[in-house]
Amino acid sequence: MAEVRIELPQGTLDLLILKALTLESMHGWAISERLQQVSREALQVQQGSLYPALHRLERRGWIKAHWATSENNRRAKYYTLTLQGKKQLEVETTAWRRLASAVGHVLDMA
Amino acid sequence: MLNDLLYRLRALFHREQMDAEVDEELRNHLERETEKYRRAGSPPEEATRRAHLAMGGSEQAKQQCRESRGTKLFDDLLQDLRYAIRSSAKTPGLAVLIVLSLAIGIGANTAIFSVTSTLLLKPLPYPSPDRIAILWLRVPGIGIPQDWPSPGQYHDIVTQNHVFEDTALATGGSFTLTERSKATKVDGIRATSSLLPMLGATPMLGRVFLPEEDLPGKPATIVLTYGFWQRQYAGDATIIGRSITLDGHPYAVVGVLSSGFGLNHEVLPTVAGIDRPDLFLPPADEARIPDNYGSENYNILARLKPGVTMQQAQSDITVIAARIREAKHRDRSFTISVVPLIDQVVGNVRTSLLILMGAVALVLLIACTNVANLLLSRAAVRRREIAIRAALGAGRARVVRQLLTESILLSVFGGAAGLAIATLSLSVARRMHPGNIPRLDELAMDWRVLCFTLAVSILTGVVFGLAPALRASRVDLTASLKSGAKGSLGGGLSIRHDKLRGALVIAEIGISLPLLIGAGLLGRSFVRLANVQPGFNQQHLVSMEVGVYGPQFKDPVKRVQFYQELAERTTHLPGVTATGAVSGLPLTSAIGWGGMHIEGHVPPPNEPELQADVRAATPPYFSAMQIPLLHGRTFVESDTNIMPPVAIIDQKMADRFWPQGDAVGKCIRRSEDSPWVTIVGVVGAVKSYGLDADSRMVVYYPHGQIRNGTMYVVARTSSDPAATIAAITHLVNTMSPDIPVYDIATMEQRVQDSMARQRFAMTMLGGFAGFAMILATIGIYGVMSFLVAQGTPDIAIRMALGARRSSMLSLVFQQGMMLALVGMSVGLVSALALTRVMGSILFDVRPTDPLTFVSVLALMLVVAVCACLFPAGRAMRIDPMVALRTE
Repeated sequence: MAEVRIELPQGTLDLLILKALTLESMHGWAISERLQQVSREALQVQQGSLYPALHRLERRGWIKAHWATSENNRRAKYYTLTLQGKKQLEVETTAWRRLASAVGHVLDMA
Repeated sequence: MLNDLLYRLRALFHREQMDAEVDEELRNHLERETEKYRRAGSPPEEATRRAHLAMGGSEQAKQQCRESRGTKLFDDLLQDLRYAIRSSAKTPGLAVLIVLSLAIGIGANTAIFSVTSTLLLKPLPYPSPDRIAILWLRVPGIGIPQDWPSPGQYHDIVTQNHVFEDTALATGGSFTLTERSKATKVDGIRATSSLLPMLGATPMLGRVFLPEEDLPGKPATIVLTYGFWQRQYAGDATIIGRSITLDGHPYAVVGVLSSGFGLNHEVLPTVAGIDRPDLFLPPADEARIPDNYGSENYNILARLKPGVTMQQAQSDITVIAARIREAKHRDRSFTISVVPLIDQVVGNVRTSLLILMGAVALVLLIACTNVANLLLSRAAVRRREIAIRAALGAGRARVVRQLLTESILLSVFGGAAGLAIATLSLSVARRMHPGNIPRLDELAMDWRVLCFTLAVSILTGVVFGLAPALRASRVDLTASLKSGAKGSLGGGLSIRHDKLRGALVIAEIGISLPLLIGAGLLGRSFVRLANVQPGFNQQHLVSMEVGVYGPQFKDPVKRVQFYQELAERTTHLPGVTATGAVSGLPLTSAIGWGGMHIEGHVPPPNEPELQADVRAATPPYFSAMQIPLLHGRTFVESDTNIMPPVAIIDQKMADRFWPQGDAVGKCIRRSEDSPWVTIVGVVGAVKSYGLDADSRMVVYYPHGQIRNGTMYVVARTSSDPAATIAAITHLVNTMSPDIPVYDIATMEQRVQDSMARQRFAMTMLGGFAGFAMILATIGIYGVMSFLVAQGTPDIAIRMALGARRSSMLSLVFQQGMMLALVGMSVGLVSALALTRVMGSILFDVRPTDPLTFVSVLALMLVVAVCACLFPAGRAMRIDPMVALRTE
């Protein structure tokens, strides 16, 4: 396993969580697994950042939480993207793309 | 936004549930993680270890989850508060001292500022009150500081002034109202139609007076005040148009004033001395005569034109007064002064109030100093505790916030207690209300002031809580945790190492000393006043005014007969040993004076005409009052109008004109064209205008020759004064139901009432000085206790090394007394500077009275010794073994 870990810039985790939730409702562990897989193991989200972020998003009304039975028959807290969250995701995605391309342009200079 | 708020609220109220959910969530996560590693082939222990590693600190995550809920601020506050209460409870003494200091500062301030603002700052309840003035004659050259003007002078002012928008002429009087064969004494004001509109009085029923009613020959009309209408006629609206009988004459009621209107003696001091008018009448005929300069019995009120200042008005009136002076050959010092109405109302209490306000500002200063001092001590004691918390990872901001929460908590408690003290003081002040301090009836808590003082004290708490908090939060951990930071050995107990705290104590003593001296001066002044002999024996003496006027007493002989008969019957009442009557009783508002010519005494040119107080007295008046007869004889029943006119003069007049004691047999007369009157006796002088006021020369005429209708009846009684008063009133009623009896009081009471204002000022300032002393004591005690607590290990080591207990006592004691003595020197100097402003409210005591200064210094010294002795005693009792072991 590659030991190269990327430090997530401030606020990026929120964006990634919102993105991860676009397909389906998930519980915390699944979200962290999903992010790890999709990022090809480059991103490992520690619970110390994941759960506070989830609570923060819930407080802002971008995701909703409910308790449900998971695939292995355990009670788990599932998070779902709200309508407001979807809009927020669009806004943040656009912003991120713009930032990334701007940073890219600067780095590609010369 | 709403979602956010709801979430936070849920987080607040369902904290435990949410914590449990987070726990469960994290536990799930860990299980899943472990399972993942096990599936990947790790042995169970290895899987658990790796899962833990991958997840990071579990407690940290929980804490961060809590923070992300957005209730951290509140949670911390709660925690801080709980901690603050616990730590205050651990040092209850210090907390109590801080709260007490604040409470006294806030409470005393709010109370006295409320009094001041009620009296001085609240505008009078009239339209544009700052443009209303009252006009007085002043003839300082012949000892008349203030006298009532006449209709003639009013007319001159009305026709010649350039500064007044409107003017009004008024005079007060008492009348007998006869209704269904029952007589009541009522007070009224006769005034030009301009008076009521000038004071903003509007009719609730009917109308006020019309300008044409100022002219003679109009039907007699009357306007009632709301209070009188309610009292006398139970608010009967059909009163308008009805006729009522005053002094035997019918008057048609044309209006009732609205309830908001009030006018009293403070605003309009009429010559008759009535307190509050019950009704208003058009001017009497004599007031309508433009050249009536003789009757100086009127008040003139004026409303300045907009934009005209009081000074401009005064210069304009001075010119008119000069013309009157020339035309009427008045004394050189004759002038007319324009007095703003608010000055008229509060003039003579202004100085007392300003002194009280100064006193209170000083008390607030002391209280804040105390709080600062105690907070500093508190922070110093807790350096170690703070260092431990910092070592355990508390952030600097967190520590500062904790300390701030504590000081604000104390401030809030102090504020609450202060509110209680303010409420209490105000109710005491209201109960003590001497009745002759204007506007005190309106006394109410001034909430703006309460907020102000609260803000000041909380600010003190914050500032002086913050300073040590910042300092403490910067502490060098290792240094503080080693015992070195707690009372360093090198510095020992020395206050030199604590300059700020020492300076605060010095300031406190320096500030409270002038307050105490001020209170001492007032107290001494009051004792002097109370010891003044009024010139009569006020014990067991009842007095009341009897109004014998009206149609059936038109014949003066009837009046004399009435008082003779009343005296005859009164002497037969049980307990009554003597009775008499006089037209102007000392210490009442009844007055009378006039010109005086003395046989053989030709006043030098340019010297003003002699003036003397004039009284009519019945023969037994002097013996009833126990006014001593010094020469000659008193009056006898045969001194009537068919006998040669006689007079008795007082010692003051006798000493001035016949210093050899040969006044008896000499002649005086009231004016150039009145008959000569022979002096038959000389009696002792009495204090007519108050114990603190010089009386004027008095001439008494026998009632048989000056046959006044309204007389004060006095009776000396050995039985219950109330019973005697009731019996005399009953006698008057049976003799004639039309005769009112009023202004009833014992002479003892009149003497007490005449000192009420001084007693009020003394009690107030005394109270504040007491507060100041308590605060300063708290200050010294607090600092000394702190030094002992700080120095405990130091003292213990010294003792262990063989220092004697007594030397520990004197060490602490000396430190404290040093502060006290420096403070007292500072206080002495400021007292010498500050008490000078009190000169005008002191009676027979100089502002630098040595006895007061010495006694107060001695008192302060005793207090300082006590405040130092207790901590010093504690230092002496320190057990070295116990103290060193706790280290």
